[in-house]
Formats: sequence, structure tokens, C-alpha cells
Amino acid sequence: MEVMSAGTERGIPGIVEMPLAVERLSNGNTLIADAGDEAGFGSEIVEVDPMGNIVWNYNEGLRFAHSGRRLRSGNTLITDTTNNRLIEVTPDKKIVVNSDDWGGGTGRLSDGSHLHYPNEAFEMEDGTFLVTDRNNDRCLQVDRKGDVIWSFGGKELHHPHHANPLPNGNILVSDSDGNRVIEVNRNKEIVWSYGDGSIETLWWPRSAVRLPNGNTLITDSKNHRLLDVTLQGKVVWKFQTEHVDKFYISHATEQGTFLISSTDGHHQVIEIDRARNYVWTFRNYRRPFPLYSHLTNGFFKNRAEKGEPEHWIFATRLSEGGGKLLWDEQNRPRPCPGIELDREGALFLQQAIAFEPGALYRVGAEIKTEGVEGSACLQMDFFDAYGGSMFQDITKTPWGEILSGTNNWTTDSFEFRVPPQATYGELRLFLNNKGRAFIKNVMLNRI
Amino acid sequence: MALNKEISEKRRRQCAKLIEISKDIVRQALDRFKPEELGVTWTGGKDSGLTLWIIRQVCLEKGISLPKTMIIGEGDEFEEIDQFVEKIKKEWNVPLEICRNEDVLKAAHYTLNALVNVEELNERNRAELKRIGFDEEEFPFEAESYAGNHLMKTVVFNEFLERNKIKGIFQGLRWDEHPARFNDEYFEKKEGGYLVPEHTRIRPILHFTEKDLWDAYAAFKIPYCGLYERGYRSLGAKTTSQIAVEGVPAWEQDLENTEERAGRRQDKEKAMERMRKLGYM
Repeated sequence: MEVMSAGTERGIPGIVEMPLAVERLSNGNTLIADAGDEAGFGSEIVEVDPMGNIVWNYNEGLRFAHSGRRLRSGNTLITDTTNNRLIEVTPDKKIVVNSDDWGGGTGRLSDGSHLHYPNEAFEMEDGTFLVTDRNNDRCLQVDRKGDVIWSFGGKELHHPHHANPLPNGNILVSDSDGNRVIEVNRNKEIVWSYGDGSIETLWWPRSAVRLPNGNTLITDSKNHRLLDVTLQGKVVWKFQTEHVDKFYISHATEQGTFLISSTDGHHQVIEIDRARNYVWTFRNYRRPFPLYSHLTNGFFKNRAEKGEPEHWIFATRLSEGGGKLLWDEQNRPRPCPGIELDREGALFLQQAIAFEPGALYRVGAEIKTEGVEGSACLQMDFFDAYGGSMFQDITKTPWGEILSGTNNWTTDSFEFRVPPQATYGELRLFLNNKGRAFIKNVMLNRI
Repeated sequence: MALNKEISEKRRRQCAKLIEISKDIVRQALDRFKPEELGVTWTGGKDSGLTLWIIRQVCLEKGISLPKTMIIGEGDEFEEIDQFVEKIKKEWNVPLEICRNEDVLKAAHYTLNALVNVEELNERNRAELKRIGFDEEEFPFEAESYAGNHLMKTVVFNEFLERNKIKGIFQGLRWDEHPARFNDEYFEKKEGGYLVPEHTRIRPILHFTEKDLWDAYAAFKIPYCGLYERGYRSLGAKTTSQIAVEGVPAWEQDLENTEERAGRRQDKEKAMERMRKLGYM
């Protein structure tokens, strides 16, 4: 075993691993919601001054928090996404509103429902909140006690993001899985929309804001671009980068610049002007996992203290609160690890390895699945020096057999070529949706 | 056996052009290396068969004999392939070396799925197992398993290069056979390293699609193994190769919309769709 480059400690306060919602505050600072690292550590809300100093943060108990919004009172409203809750905290970090307290401590809203994977919340003019409740496919207006005043969704929204109130009283919401952005009035009528559902037009848009001139700035996330769209649906300006940036939320500042969070693509927040100059960036990411010179413990002979296979990372960030690491103790000649998911989302058992750029390799393993409703497979991903994936999207990464349902031990191996710009790769056992996948005898060599 | 399929004059000219490109690669290889420094990998299958036929055309043109040719004996071969190879070897006067990892075969008592005790293997095979990360005391003898594939094919290939001081080796790979091959080059130099001799891999038929290949077989009456007529599309070890469409010759199958290599890729499009919808990925 050879650690080529050690990672830092996980969850260091102030280190931004995965910026999501961003906003420029009136004091010139920037508020960033950091969803944390791949193993689920380090989610926090940070306030950064123009020099890059962390002047405030809140990180108590947050899991994959998607948004932090500064309220008029100076408090901060946070969607604590994987914990399915909304909290309001004071500058000295006292919680003054917690959706877990609603419904007599059940966390239920006045309509009997519970927030499910909320990803955005803004304060309305009247002091109520507009919340985007992703896995309930809706956005809703609630007061500080959890009384639902208005809601929109059901059939019209598919895993929405970033519903925000407009000055005309309407709501602008990104219907992310519907690949469109819509403006809805109080009567729940769609009065404007952009995106015909095809991924060429919009692919998983995750935010949209109305600009002072009436145009709409859309973060077309999986197309790695920002679009400025007129009311007539004409694209008049765009900003697009290499495939490694995955944009999340964009914010239009009063100075006419745009703040963009480049999620786990490059782990940074950038501010660009209309001429596409970078006028400010914030990045203090430090890789929290070690990089091995070659595959290590591929036969799972050693277990680490917490029960995961030594040198492997159990990555739960995208498992929406679920996900278990298991060991098949009956397996011979020795137990082997597995991962189990009981809901939507994705789960990984992975290791980061240094590869020779441009070279051809072969990887192989034996995989067994039980009741997989989505898919399980062996997969590779490659990253550039800033930690951005080299592929357009997950479907472009090299992978082996895609298994679903129940399969006894299946030998899988495949060849792949390392992208020329890659600095490291991740070998992963991937599982999405419900089911279990076990792995053993992982091997890797250059060919 | 010659493939019985109607090929239009236009299509024949297209195939001739593709073959000309390949022949030019072979000519370049002969400019770069002495004939005795060149080698050919052959399996008896359609890709290496076309490659060997093309190399032969150039050799006939230049009046030289075929380079040393290797075929890997995995211990799990189709009789039909053995017979085909034997026949072509005689007809074309192929300087054939049947290469096997005798050490592994012996340890497995020449029996499929027999357990091979790693300690019984020679030093080189043990070092090779270590190189791929194999970390058990034994493994079942199976040519298509990861360890089996490495010992029975990769190691034997490297040993062939070493033994014959081969500097350039012809391979019958095609760009469209596997996504990992999309960026392969006609000439790829492999640096020497631990257990790997320095050599250049030469791939004259990279640009052929599966359909081009069969059309070329038909247009130029190139001999092939009869298993393809029974519905096999891709031939490997006997116990792991599967007929793609029973009774339908390979060239009559839907080559453009289905996978060349049979496998368990279940509902790939559906899986892709699910993955496209995964947030943050």
C-alpha cells in the first residue's frame, strides 16, 4: 500500500467542499451553502468577505445543506436538506425556528405533510417562507409555525429547485427533472416558461432569477452553462465552461455580475461579468481523502475501525439520508463488503487512485446484487487538478456490466483509457435506488 | 469457406478502399521494423483473421514470408476454431506458435474450474498475480476470469514478444468493438517496464466497423470460421462465448443497433436514463 498524497481531515469548519446556494450580501460579503464532502462531512453555511476570510459559519448538525439565505433581521434561513428540515439561526448561532418542532414536534406542516429533501427557502415580503420541497415535488409558502399558506406542485413539478418570489408576486421555479423553468402566479397558473423538456434546451436547470430588464438568468446545470433568456424565449447571452464545471445556483449581484457555484465540479464559487471575465473567485477546498499509487485492499482483507474496508470510502453524500455499509460474513474465503440503499439516490464504495494519463487499463471485480430496483455496477470516474470530473455526465464514464434485480456473483471486467488531463481516478461500486450490491476480488492493472 | 452474400460494385470499391488503408499501415510497419521483428496475434476469429489476410496480401506483394504468428491456447478452445486455424496455417504457410501458460495449465491439471494453488506457480506467474492486485492463495482455472485472463493471455503475449524479440506486433482491434477502443491509434508504442517488454502495437483494421468487416469478407472471399454462420458474433473461450442469434449468421444480424459482445447489459438505455436523472452527477 502506498499513499501517494494524503488527504486532510474531514469536515474542517470553513473549508468549502461543495458550494450550492450563493448570494452576495449587502455588506459585500458572500454567503455560501456548502453541502460537504462525499462521505457526508463538512456541510455548513459560510460567510466569506471579499478577501476570502471566513467571517461567520454555521455547521451544527447540518447534512447536505443546500441553501442559506440572510434574512432582513440578520438571521440566516437554512435548508438542512438530508435532515428534511428548515431552520432559522441567529448570528450567534441560536436556532429560533426549526421545522422539526412543527406539528407538536413531529415536524409536520399544517397539511399533514413533512418536508422531504428541501433545497431552498427564501423569506417573502410578509415574513413567511417560500420553500422548495424537492422530493414532494412542490414549492410552498409557510409561516414560521408551519402553517401552509400556499403551495404549488404535484404534476407540474419534478424534483424542483430554487423557487424564488418575484416583485410581481409570482414565483419563478426550476422544474429540474422536467428540464424547464416556469413562472407561476398566485392562482397556480403557469404564466411563463422556458425549456421544451429536451436536454439540449435545458438539462437539469437548478436555478433561475429574473433580471432587472425582465430577462431570466437560468443555471442550466448539466449543460454547464448560464443562459440569459428574454420573455419571448430568446437566448441573448450565455456563459459556458468546459464540462468539468457543474453549476448550481447563480445569483445576479447589484453590480450586474453573476455569482455561480461550481458544486463538486471545481469546488469553487466564481463571479463573472457580462464579458465573461472572472472578477472574483473563492476556493479553499482541500481534498479530504488520500490518493493511492495503486489499488489497495482490493480483496477486502482489512477493515478499518468504523467497519468500512480499509482504504475505501463509503460515500453517502447522494444517498438522501439512506445507505448502509454491510459485510457478507458468510462469504468464503473471507467476508466481503456490500452497500445497501432503501430509497432513491446513489451510494458508492470507492477508492481514489493515481493513473497514468492517456494509458489503457483493465479493472475487474466480482459483484453480487440483491433486489436492485435501479442499477449497480463497477464504474470509473476521472478528475482534473481542480477535482472536476472529466466527463460530461455520469453516463459517459467507463463502467462495466449494469446489474439490476438479483444476480449471483458475476465476474465483471472492462478496459478504459485515462483521459489525458486526468490527475486521478476513482474506482467505485455504484448503486442507485433500492437494493444491495456486494463486491469482492477487485483487481486493476495497466495493459 | 467463403461468405455467400451479395455485394454491390460500389460497396466492393468501398471495402477495397478500407483494405487499402490497412495495407498501408502494414507497409509502414514493414518500413519501421525488420520482418523478423514483427509478430502477429491471431485467434482464429474474424478480426485477427482479416488482419492476417491483409498482412498476407502485403507480404505476397513484397515477396516475403508472413511474420511469426502467435495464437493463445487458453485450454478452453472450440474444436471448430482449432480446425480452421490448422487449415489456414497449411494453406497460407503461417509460421504459427501456439502459446500457452503451461505452468498454470499444469497447476490446474488441465481441467476447467480446477483450483490453482498460487504457491505451485512459478515465480513469474506469482509476480504477475501480484501486479494485478490478486491477493488470494488459490483461484479457479477459468480463462475469462480476471486472473485467468491475465495469466493465460497477457502474460503469454508478453512472453511471446520477449522470446522472439518482437518489436512490432499486429493486433486485430477495431474502434467500434468497445468504447475503450475509441481513441486507439494505428501505432501505439508501449514503454517497457516491469514484466512488460518494450514494443509497438500495430492495429491495421481499426477503422473497420463490424459491418465493413463482413462485407470485406464477402467481397474478397476471405476464409472464416464456420461458427459465425451458426449465430456467434464474437468468439472467445468455448464455455463463455454465446450464440447471439441462433441460426442467424453474424453478418445477417442487426450489427449497428445491438452489442457485438453478448453480455448481461440489462436494459442499458433505461439505466442510462436513470443515471442522467441523478442529481449532482
